[in-house]
Amino acid sequence: MKIVVSRLDEFPPGERRIVQAGRRSIGVFRVGDRFYAVNNHCPHQGGPLCLGRTKPWVRSAGPGDYAMAEHDALVACPWHGWEYDLATGQSFLGPGEPPARTYDVSVEAGDATGEPVHGRLPGPYVAETFPVHVEDAYVVVDTSPRAPAAGVSGGAR
Amino acid sequence: MTAAPPTTGVVDTDVHCAPATIAALTPYLEPYWRTYIQDGGVSLSTTQGGAYPPQAPTSATPAARAAGAVPATTVDELRTGLLDPAGLSTAVLNCTTSFHCNRNPYYEAALTRAVNDWLVTEWLDRDDRLRASMVVPTLDTEAAVAEIERIGGHPGFVQVLLPVRADVPWGNKRHHPMLQAAAAHDLVVGLHAWGRIGNAATPTGITHTYLEDYLGNSQLIVQAQVTSLVTEGVFTRVPQLRVVLAECGFSWLPTLLWRFDKDWKGVWREVPWLDGRPSEVVRRHIRLTTSPAHLPRDAAQVRQVLDLLDAAAMLLHASDHPHDHGTGGDRLLAALTGPERERVQSRNAIDWYRLG
Repeated sequence: MKIVVSRLDEFPPGERRIVQAGRRSIGVFRVGDRFYAVNNHCPHQGGPLCLGRTKPWVRSAGPGDYAMAEHDALVACPWHGWEYDLATGQSFLGPGEPPARTYDVSVEAGDATGEPVHGRLPGPYVAETFPVHVEDAYVVVDTSPRAPAAGVSGGAR
Repeated sequence: MTAAPPTTGVVDTDVHCAPATIAALTPYLEPYWRTYIQDGGVSLSTTQGGAYPPQAPTSATPAARAAGAVPATTVDELRTGLLDPAGLSTAVLNCTTSFHCNRNPYYEAALTRAVNDWLVTEWLDRDDRLRASMVVPTLDTEAAVAEIERIGGHPGFVQVLLPVRADVPWGNKRHHPMLQAAAAHDLVVGLHAWGRIGNAATPTGITHTYLEDYLGNSQLIVQAQVTSLVTEGVFTRVPQLRVVLAECGFSWLPTLLWRFDKDWKGVWREVPWLDGRPSEVVRRHIRLTTSPAHLPRDAAQVRQVLDLLDAAAMLLHASDHPHDHGTGGDRLLAALTGPERERVQSRNAIDWYRLG
């Protein structure tokens, strides 16, 4: 399922958006020109992970030496400070700790790419559709993930 | 030297000796400090500032008390009191006499030099089974480094002994050059119970009973020292450093490390030089002596404690002669399997102190 989050020019670096998709809450972060999307649910105890502070890595060559990375790379849950990699959801709390779910984010062209339909230009929003089959006497909707079909409108990822 | 009696192969990593009075150290003190002692009426505290009250049951085993070795003041006393009857292959001497020095940093440096030279001449040169901890001044890091440079290369010294009660935790940056010097000479750094009476026996303040002071060594301050050494990045800066906690207990360690690991996960950013879980750092760099052993009465529970600690890897046998901490040590040995006992009583100390 694709969720349109925001116009690019209304989402400056350093900001985040929390979007709702059905029962799912997702945090979308802009760090510089990179975007990250993380499930707003901390695997530790279910805290609102994406309301937490984002932080850069800090490395050290020895006591008193602090080398802080330029960009934020982690989000820390506001409940207990448990940290996850924004890109991969990787937890850094030790073996056996589950990662946070992350999603792909893309910036897609907002201008119409399709042909006018009866004079009307296709917009950026595409409602989610599901394949429907007729199996014996039943009409069945399949919501399982499917590979994106070639040639679907929406622009390059 | 007489032929050594039969050995059991046991290594005892905490055996006490002390000069009977300051007169025993006089030959090893520079002339100025002899006059300083005479003019000032400076003496050695026989109780080491209250650390070992003469009639406290903890201060000496009945046998040591009967032999007058509280602790041994000559190598002959130690031979008859411990080395021969216990059949030790090696004993590591710990002389804590200088722990309770006054606060004159120059006198402390002179006194520790004298103790070290006394240890070489009166002990190490007289029995092949002996190794010793050298002592260093605690008020002057430069002087401590200089003393390690002066005598730390003597083959009989295997450890630099520090009081667990200190002005500032031993992991503090100001102590790093001394810890580096010890490691550079392949010496273990030993933190041993007690210290100046003017240093609080708890991390929060001054006490006024022996009971508090006694428990403080093994249950309170030593945990602050472990926390300091790990948190301040000592083992990142001096990766080859090996530490022993002597006469400081051991059964408190697992619970400290559980919480230490957990809290580090949350606030690691403050100490980015800490390059692994505190429990892993401790396991790589710290060992603990077996006396005093604080263990439950129930044998099954003793076994559980030992498993939580990984006792067979972490513990070094010590009698703490002549001090008497009760029967915990017997319960410990009874709970170990044969191979575990061999490691705790011998192999671990040989490896850690490079006795081979």
